[in-house]
Amino acid sequence: MRPAFDEQANTPPFVLTESGHAGLIVAAANRTALNLGIGPGLRFTDARARVPQLLYDEIDREADARGLRALASWMVRWTPLTALDGVDGLMLETTGCDHLHGGETAMVEALSLRLTRSGCAHRIGLAGTPGAASALARAAAKEGVPALLSEGGERDGLADLPVAALRLSTEAVILLRRFGLVRIGQLYDIDRKALARRFQSRDMSDAVCLRLDQALGLRIEPLQPLLPPPAHAARLPCPEPIANGQGVAEGLRQITEILCADLARLGQGARSFILHAFKSDGDVSSLSVTAARPVRNPEHILRLFRETLDSIDPGFGIDLLLLEARRAGPMSVSAVALSGDLAASDTDEAALAALADRIVAKLGQGSVLLNTPQASHAPDRAERWLPYEGTLPPHASTSATTGPRPVRMLSHPERVEVIAEVPDGPPLRFVWRRIVRTVSRADGPERINPEWWRSLPPVGAKPKNLPRARDYYRVEDSKGGRYWLFREGLYDDERGDAPEWYVQGLFA
Amino acid sequence: MDIATLKAKGIVRAHSARTPICARFPFGLAQAGVHELAEACFGDMPALTGFTLAAYAEGGGANRAGAILWVTQARLGLEHGCVPDSALRAFSAHHTHRLVVQPAKLSDALWTIEEAIASSAVSLIVAEVSGADFTATRRLALASGRHGVPVILLMPYGREGATAAQARWRITSKPSAPNRYDPRAPGTPRWHATLERSRTAPHLAGHSFDLEWNNETLSLTVVSGLGAGQAASPTPPRRGPADASGIRRAG
Repeated sequence: MRPAFDEQANTPPFVLTESGHAGLIVAAANRTALNLGIGPGLRFTDARARVPQLLYDEIDREADARGLRALASWMVRWTPLTALDGVDGLMLETTGCDHLHGGETAMVEALSLRLTRSGCAHRIGLAGTPGAASALARAAAKEGVPALLSEGGERDGLADLPVAALRLSTEAVILLRRFGLVRIGQLYDIDRKALARRFQSRDMSDAVCLRLDQALGLRIEPLQPLLPPPAHAARLPCPEPIANGQGVAEGLRQITEILCADLARLGQGARSFILHAFKSDGDVSSLSVTAARPVRNPEHILRLFRETLDSIDPGFGIDLLLLEARRAGPMSVSAVALSGDLAASDTDEAALAALADRIVAKLGQGSVLLNTPQASHAPDRAERWLPYEGTLPPHASTSATTGPRPVRMLSHPERVEVIAEVPDGPPLRFVWRRIVRTVSRADGPERINPEWWRSLPPVGAKPKNLPRARDYYRVEDSKGGRYWLFREGLYDDERGDAPEWYVQGLFA
Repeated sequence: MDIATLKAKGIVRAHSARTPICARFPFGLAQAGVHELAEACFGDMPALTGFTLAAYAEGGGANRAGAILWVTQARLGLEHGCVPDSALRAFSAHHTHRLVVQPAKLSDALWTIEEAIASSAVSLIVAEVSGADFTATRRLALASGRHGVPVILLMPYGREGATAAQARWRITSKPSAPNRYDPRAPGTPRWHATLERSRTAPHLAGHSFDLEWNNETLSLTVVSGLGAGQAASPTPPRRGPADASGIRRAG
């Protein structure tokens, strides 16, 4: 399938330019320009010399790629497996999808009609292999006349097409033309070894053979889909386009129930659901919700969607709703305990996961956190905040092997100005957050050495850059505030300047 | 028990049924209803957190099964620091799981609290929020009463005005108890807690408690004569390692 922009026969010649290695070159040309002999790859000065009144503009490859990707995501309504083909083509794997639209011919016609309606010029080829379909779209199909080949008919169907349709490099096409090989059919009976000898490089001859084999289905060409295909999907075509939010909610309820019934039949649940709403003007809006653990309860999924469903603007009407289930997995179904005393765990994990899902749906991904202990001596590394993923860790061991730890930990140690009695002792007075605090009592130090295995110095490095040991003090000021201070570095460790003091946390 | 209570999700779980509010300290804190705890002055948030965890353990809240949900407005979390799980373990022998949510907006924080109450998935909700008007606290109080999930609101020092909460406490930190082993070191923490208003014990409104947390027996005791300074007999300063300068000189 090749989208291109609609052109009128009587438009002035127009080209898009880009900078090549020898000045500006033509990147794309409209039909008038093509008829005048100006094609992609020509130097712009030459084109200008041939047609002085040539209109031109700079090509925006990024915008093209964005547009192509948007079109590819719209193609999800035909098949979940869509891939980009070069800079101007899309590849759709429609195996098993055509019957939803009444057969291959009907599907291609419907696709063509929709593209024409949205003003997107295109050429469609359909065949049993990606290579053959691409060749058909590029060489055989015309605007509004799709080229179709039935399964197994590639060999005969491609025989009359030019070799350039095989997605070969320009050099390879020129070389083949020199040998008199113009049609794909001429390549079928040529001895492969003889062909390889004529090419200068082995890579080029291999490429020709590879593309030929791929087109004929002798070698498999896997697609690289833009999105991994969903585990399950449910679709609701609307003969009468939905024009209001109420209709969207009702449609979503129906397909959610269908999808959940499918999942229940397989004993599975999914952790991610994506709703695509295809509008009749060719636009598509997508919403996604995630769950902490696999779910298949329609009520729960609908509740997650409820927070964001208003963001779908029906516009001129929605004619297809598609709900995809991704990250599917087996569901652990357990009977609800009659009372809390009989439950295996003291926490209702399913209810907790459902609560976390609703919070995530409202506040965004990663908003429910779990404090996870880490194997580290450094107090600021001993616990990490990780997103809650539906499982609670087993309880940590109760043995307290550390000294007292504060009730509040600052996210980053904050620097303080300190007056200390002796260099190695606790401070007498310090300024934290612009308030002078006089220390009345202090306890310490608790020395925590840096984890040397985390920062192995390169050979010959100066010790100045090595991490420094920390001496932690528990101090109390005259007003009753209790702080956890540390001095980073010792006076004689030769790792930098004079040690500095920080507040790490606050005691109750 | 009204119809709404009977219909509420999770009501079959024995521990989520409404419990009669206990008329002794901490007056139903962490057992039922919404309780407000506010800083007495700026910088009392660590004392407030400590008092919350201590009163929760003292009031038997830790015996309630189920996870804790800790809601912190992101701005307050940056200002006061976050509460690590090790702090929870230090105040209670019984381990509970805890989920933390850090919404940026107050409205999102209140929504999260209400959603968590209605889910009956958690046994306690602690929320650090910048404020809550009467309507918001009334909503939370009604939801909490319906579902039997206690809520503790930790508020900054400027908290004033009407509230629908069961009680409002105001906490400030006091110099810690004398350390029996080292007079120069801080001892067990002490707080001054004022019960500003209470629906459970209205006759005690305005009453102040001087409390001390014993981190070995995990119990909260009322201390008398805090103003008299060091109650324990002062022991002569021991010669600690820092005083062993004589050894250094000899070497």
